[in-house]
Amino acid sequence: MKENVTFGDRDKNVTFGDRDETSPPATSDEFLLNIGPQHPATHGVLRVVVTMDGEVVKDIVPHVGYVHRGLEKLFENRTYEQIIPFTDRTDYLSAIANNFAYVMGVERLLGLEVPEKVQYMRVLMAELNRIASHLLWLAAYGLDMGAFTPFLYAFRDREEIVSMIEEASGGRLTTNYFRVGGFVHDLPREFFPRLRKFISRFGKAVNELDTLLVENAIFVARTRGVGVIGRGRAVSYGMTGPCLRASNASFDVRRDLPYSVYPLFDFEIPVGRNGDTWDRSWVRIEEMRQSLVILRQAMEGFPEGDHKARAPRNIEPPAGEVYSAVEGPRGETGFYIVSDGTRKPYRVKMRKPSFSNFSALPEILRGLKIADLVAVMGSLDLVVPEIDR
Amino acid sequence: MRSAEETREALGKRFPAIEVRPVDPAPNVTVHADALRENLAWLRDELAFDFLVFMTALDRPADDAVELVYRLFSHESRASVVVRVRLPRDGARVPTVSDIFRTAEWHERETAEMFGVEFAGHPDPRKLLLPDDLDGHPLRKDFSHPNLVRLPEAP
Repeated sequence: MKENVTFGDRDKNVTFGDRDETSPPATSDEFLLNIGPQHPATHGVLRVVVTMDGEVVKDIVPHVGYVHRGLEKLFENRTYEQIIPFTDRTDYLSAIANNFAYVMGVERLLGLEVPEKVQYMRVLMAELNRIASHLLWLAAYGLDMGAFTPFLYAFRDREEIVSMIEEASGGRLTTNYFRVGGFVHDLPREFFPRLRKFISRFGKAVNELDTLLVENAIFVARTRGVGVIGRGRAVSYGMTGPCLRASNASFDVRRDLPYSVYPLFDFEIPVGRNGDTWDRSWVRIEEMRQSLVILRQAMEGFPEGDHKARAPRNIEPPAGEVYSAVEGPRGETGFYIVSDGTRKPYRVKMRKPSFSNFSALPEILRGLKIADLVAVMGSLDLVVPEIDR
Repeated sequence: MRSAEETREALGKRFPAIEVRPVDPAPNVTVHADALRENLAWLRDELAFDFLVFMTALDRPADDAVELVYRLFSHESRASVVVRVRLPRDGARVPTVSDIFRTAEWHERETAEMFGVEFAGHPDPRKLLLPDDLDGHPLRKDFSHPNLVRLPEAP
């Protein structure tokens, strides 16, 4: 039966046996286990083929590309303004970070200065988005690990952020809020009272979530010391964001490649010690606390002004290239934009954190038990459209 | 701990033809395909450029060239450098660097299928994102496919 099992049209030639060239021939104890492309633990359309020896993972081959939409080719046929809504759809959980990186790149190409108020609004939005994304990760990860209650708590708090973002931008996930030079419209009048209320309440909510999931004895038993990746390997695999910082590497784009008004704020960058699954979870909890610290400072120092710069109606940057990166919830989210002086970019390359983080999966998983696979994959916080683009 | 200025100085010594292109502040270095591995290993080991941010390619049919772009970042000095390799469009071939930077394995697979560049010695040269039965290299400027229809120009 082994030879005849295929998975969809795109894998006509790829069967369970397709990896025999690179892996040692399966002995009688070894078997191949297919997970995905549709499986609750993969959080999207991706597939892994695992070589198992009993319940020990011997090797793992990820298959990606099921939601590849050819966005980079599409971008070459769109004007600079038309690209903004597409960037939302590469990572539906951090649309704002993607917008941010893209419009910042175009602004740098144009040499456009944006008002201080726009910078503050961007930081506010980006940090709210980071908290919302981490909350959704926590909720889904809890479900993966068999904890249902944190899901309810996390969604209660996330709903508050999402409805604030909705009030400001009109969208809940794919917000399409940013424009080159500013925003599509100003923050609504009720925004700051709501934000103030949220900030005063959320600190306690994070503590709740921390106790409920991350400090929970069962959770700790399942994640402590599981799925360790050392600092050198993590860097070599190009990991960024919480996954890298868990491995004791202090790198954060907000501090190390400063952009916008982040240098004005005082915040800490949580760094894990062991690079295991628990550290990756802990770093995200700490990041939510630090986002709260940034939000508070941004709210207090929020300046008066205009919500957009005087940007040209037709965006036609001079020939040149730029790489602009922001710290998204999953790591370094960057756009490499090459302009040839026309209204459409010559090439846009999206550097996405999940792509690099996921490529390290075989390295992390080898030698672990099958039950750890779900724990490790969840802790990488993968967003599949971001891998495939 | 090396500073960004010292890194820049050391770069200038080894690569006299270093240039900065418009807008992006990172220095650009163009190397020959045969010298790529040696130079990337040198950058990683001597100047602590330990992080390959991304690698990709640019198709330039006007110059009959495919240009590979490797962007490196150093966690130590927080400096960036861009390494470029120019290849002919026909028979573009370059050695793999996936053993120097592990992340290059996937980036090279993507570049190979999208731009038709061959990475010699790659450990896993299967396609990454595209269907196995797709012919051609979509991110080349002259790619055509029956399902791909050009939009009318915006007024």
